[in-house]
Amino acid sequence: MRRSLGTALLVFVLAACGGKTVDISRVPELPEISVDELSGVLAGSAQPVVLNVWASWCVPCRSEAPLLEKAATTTDDVTFIGLNVRDDQTGARSFIAEFFPEAPIDHYRDPGGDIPVGLGGNRGVPLTYFFAPHGELIELHSGVIDERTLALQIDEISSR
Amino acid sequence: MEFTLLGAVLFAVVPLYAALYWEARRGNAAACTRDLWDVALTAAVVGLFIGRITAMIGDGVNPLTNPADIIIVRGGVATGPAVLGALATAAWVGRRELWPVLDGLAAAALAGLGGWHAGCMVRNACLGSASDLPWAIAQDGSSITRHPVEIYAALALFLAAGLLMVWRQRGRPAPGVVAGLGLAWAASVRLLTEPLRPTLSGGPVWWYVAGLAVGVLVTGWHGWRSPRQRQPDIDTRSG
Repeated sequence: MRRSLGTALLVFVLAACGGKTVDISRVPELPEISVDELSGVLAGSAQPVVLNVWASWCVPCRSEAPLLEKAATTTDDVTFIGLNVRDDQTGARSFIAEFFPEAPIDHYRDPGGDIPVGLGGNRGVPLTYFFAPHGELIELHSGVIDERTLALQIDEISSR
Repeated sequence: MEFTLLGAVLFAVVPLYAALYWEARRGNAAACTRDLWDVALTAAVVGLFIGRITAMIGDGVNPLTNPADIIIVRGGVATGPAVLGALATAAWVGRRELWPVLDGLAAAALAGLGGWHAGCMVRNACLGSASDLPWAIAQDGSSITRHPVEIYAALALFLAAGLLMVWRQRGRPAPGVVAGLGLAWAASVRLLTEPLRPTLSGGPVWWYVAGLAVGVLVTGWHGWRSPRQRQPDIDTRSG
């Protein structure tokens, strides 16, 4: 009996921890961008850039999103760009509303998912690129990124 | 797939097993009838699970509605709750002979933790803050040399594991003292190396301080309470 009550309490607590209501009406539609346009953005940036490639259907992306949100919110003098790939507007906006509601991240769409390859990466998600000012690629991280790696690479591109 | 993480786990498991084996062969696991290998693995898995769930909740991700996220360990594991979970599990499984079990695990846990830190070599995650010291290392393509902070931690933990194993064999410390020292040492190593680690918002420093305090208290309590009580010299076994 006590064990059942304990299990029920645990399930209740865990259930109460999530289930955020996602309101996408405050999230603008994501503009589409080409590889040339994005390369231009990177080359024109006087700040180092962290470029994260994500999709709303990507479970690992959801896992690393809170970390990127924290990094974008707490790191000065670094530009954060999100590139949504092979996704639809609704899914992308829902994801932003849930994970990046206030984070200073410029999000773009790449429905075909070709831009990451054009920037020297691959078609997997998530991907995180680290660019020095004016677009020099310093590091490309494939897969979920952890806090230490993210902090270290931000330190690297900020020191260039 | 995150195979590098699995490689790092292997780096942790091998010294853990080797330390338990060495302790059993040397008679250090006397007075303990539990299979310490089973206890260690159970505690590690439960601690990892609790740490991952806690990290997910902290990030606002519901583990019930997103169960697949649980296995994405690289997404984050909350260190403090993970250690608490592992310690509580070990204590629960070995509750009938609490201190012999925890003493028997302490040195091996330090060795396993050292192996986990040394596993940074396969994860390409050894480097910390910038440094000009002669042994500082730069990552590929970079001119910025950095502290190999995870190697520092690994060496300190391996050293402590070795010292504890030898002391248990030769000194026969009072029950509970080795477990307390092990916890205090592990917390100290993390606490001292934390400023050298790259981080976005500071590491879980207060957890390390709490671990150090609990370790010192346990050591002091057992050392003071039973200064003449020593671990019995029984036959060699870990299981």
